[in-house]
Amino acid sequence: MSVRQVTPDRVAGAAVLAIALLAPLLFSAYWVSALLTQVLLLGIIAASLTFLSAFAGMVSLAQVAVYGIAGFALGNATTTNTKGLDLGWNPWIGVVLGLLFGTGMALVFGALACRSVGIYFLMITLTFGVIANLFFGQVTQVSGFGGISGISPPSIIGSADANKNKLYYIALALSLIVYLLFKYVTRTPFGLALQGIRDDPLRMSSLGYHVALHRTLAFGFAGFISSIGGILFVWWNGHIDPSSIDIGQMVDVLAIAVIGGLYRLEGAWLGAFVYVVINNYLQTISFIGPRFDTVVGLIFLTIVLVSPAGLMGIWERALGLLGRRKPEGGGTSPLAPTPANADL
Amino acid sequence: MRILLRSRRLGLPLVGLAIAVAALTGVANASSSAATPIRIGVMSDCKGAFGSFDAQDQAGVYAALSEYTGAKPKDPNDPRKGITGGAINGHPIKIVAVGCGSDNADLAIKETRRIVEQNKADIMIGPLSGDESVAIANYAKQHPTKTFVDGAAGAQDTTLKVRAPNFFRFNGDGAQWNAGLGDLAHNKLGWKTAAVIADNYSFGWTSAAGFIAEFCAVGGNVTQRVFPPLNTTDYSTYAQQLKTDVDGTFVAVGGSGLIPFLKAYEQAHGKIDSKKFIGNLFWGTPGEFESLSTDVSGAYVGGAGTAGDLNTAAAKHYANNVIGKWFKQIPPGGAAAPQAASTFTFGYYINTWGLIKGLQAVKGDIAGGQKPLQKALAKVVINGPYGVVKLDANRQAILTTFYQQLYTKDGKLAVKTVGSVPGVTQTFGGTFSTSTPAPGPTAPTCTKRKLPWVGKETVPKVVS
Repeated sequence: MSVRQVTPDRVAGAAVLAIALLAPLLFSAYWVSALLTQVLLLGIIAASLTFLSAFAGMVSLAQVAVYGIAGFALGNATTTNTKGLDLGWNPWIGVVLGLLFGTGMALVFGALACRSVGIYFLMITLTFGVIANLFFGQVTQVSGFGGISGISPPSIIGSADANKNKLYYIALALSLIVYLLFKYVTRTPFGLALQGIRDDPLRMSSLGYHVALHRTLAFGFAGFISSIGGILFVWWNGHIDPSSIDIGQMVDVLAIAVIGGLYRLEGAWLGAFVYVVINNYLQTISFIGPRFDTVVGLIFLTIVLVSPAGLMGIWERALGLLGRRKPEGGGTSPLAPTPANADL
Repeated sequence: MRILLRSRRLGLPLVGLAIAVAALTGVANASSSAATPIRIGVMSDCKGAFGSFDAQDQAGVYAALSEYTGAKPKDPNDPRKGITGGAINGHPIKIVAVGCGSDNADLAIKETRRIVEQNKADIMIGPLSGDESVAIANYAKQHPTKTFVDGAAGAQDTTLKVRAPNFFRFNGDGAQWNAGLGDLAHNKLGWKTAAVIADNYSFGWTSAAGFIAEFCAVGGNVTQRVFPPLNTTDYSTYAQQLKTDVDGTFVAVGGSGLIPFLKAYEQAHGKIDSKKFIGNLFWGTPGEFESLSTDVSGAYVGGAGTAGDLNTAAAKHYANNVIGKWFKQIPPGGAAAPQAASTFTFGYYINTWGLIKGLQAVKGDIAGGQKPLQKALAKVVINGPYGVVKLDANRQAILTTFYQQLYTKDGKLAVKTVGSVPGVTQTFGGTFSTSTPAPGPTAPTCTKRKLPWVGKETVPKVVS
């Protein structure tokens, strides 16, 4: 690596990666097994939203539904003597089924929503999320209110007590793979076309690109990534129920992506880190106690007001002030349709 | 400012800084565990369908700890303020955290994980509701070196299906609590057919299962089962579905849903005929039944192994000299003693008392991966306020259950215990086993069978 390639972003990335790799040595077991593992899996789910937002101009609330579908598929396939289908199959078959169902439903969602933009797209994906939540809440053959408990990871990961770090490192490896995969995809002709569609769908359509198909495929790809997060979630939590994918959870994942910065993939994990830590520690402060949800909301509101581009926007601005470079992307909210896509 | 910024030009970036700060916090937490005290966590519901019983839950825990370990409530008018002191054989009791759950299992798992893994609880007391307990029992299986006792949750699966060796329940399940009601409906009230409406989750199913199993066992026929989701706010569609050409309706809609359901039923079918209704424990739970209309006066209700009006020294002592001694008020329900017989106050109390007895048996020593404590807990027998409680092979209570009748006293609704069934097991007289389908929307099926207590229920002496 030449001196010119040593950028603050890369230094920061390397530092974070080093800390993440050494986390079991630096942090308590609770931090590694509960908080940081949760950060990584929520980061994966939020990254799928950030990808759609930053590179396809689609802010989706359905990512939570997709990870739920993957999680419920795995739970139904692998557990016995619990609620749901009780199939008791091999955990790896459950993984395959989870990815298939999650990705498949994401493609269906994407095909249905791909012709909408802006707030209408957001509302349609919200509807998908609500449908998934109600489906699993009311169809007791696959879940019901109580959901599926006793979901164990494959023997290679082992029990939570005996192997606290294994799932963390798997989540870390998958986070890295997901991040690099997103980076790669955005540089492929498909990714570039997607960005063209984000900026001016009419022009891309005139050039012969199938806008709806590109959007559907992007949604399916993001769904695949979200499904990975869903599988990690049920391995980590050992349980999934409709409240795992309710409106609160949808808003949480959106908040994570917004706090981190909806235009940079790294923001997903940064947002997840801030969200998880704040969420965990606020309620232990005695004078806040049961009111912690309100305080969490106020903190998030403050962050978004101070920096519409999230924490990554603050980072960019700090670098800009230091003269290294100008902020990228301008932090434009993807919720606001451009004149071009507003006409679509 | 400019100099400051420059000095940070190549310093730790925002992300690294955040994680470093977090690392320090994490390391600090890691070094804060202590071995000598008995570290106890409590899992309560402070929101959701049963959030209004949060103070009752904590009152039950702290009253038991105050009565048997020398602890003392910080505020007799608010159990949620916690306790000071308390020890078993020199091992101080330390309440490390109280989890704020709702009725959903996902949050219960997160809170339990936080309390066990972050706050280093050795022992957990709770949770309150059915699906939470199923999830926590599964969590317990993954953490065999910790010990879990139930709070007031009554799902059958928790102990009959999950069977975690380190999860103990000194309260009955929802089916056990309804022993005697099916016989009452068929043989006393003359119901031949019944409709059932219950919350669509583990406890609702279990509660309904107790009534269905016994009503069908004695020859009745359940012709309709309706299961609205927990936390439904508008019950009109479910109330309208309920058949009126049946002899009676069993209602196991609980918590914040009961009153909206009854209102919706009256809107759909007119004034309630109390002789055609039997409710589960929520109809007689202190803190809830007072809000019901006197229209339901005369209806029979299931209990929770509780009978607040029992005319025995043990029951009076518990209400006045235990709950009423340590607490003056349990908000928002008012005076503490009348709330002693609440499912939630009593559930958390009896489970905490069972735990204390186990801890006393091992002299407060929880070493050895808590295996000696768990062995001792399995043998605990409690001469409780409402009868003897002991555990079966799945660490589930065998207990005396009671059923009550609502009546009007001085223009207000009151509860009178009218029947009791001793020695009710979770198998419900052989109806349920580890291999029978778990209670659900279609289980158990309506089958005639013999139950050991049918026709043998007794009428206990009560305070008039």
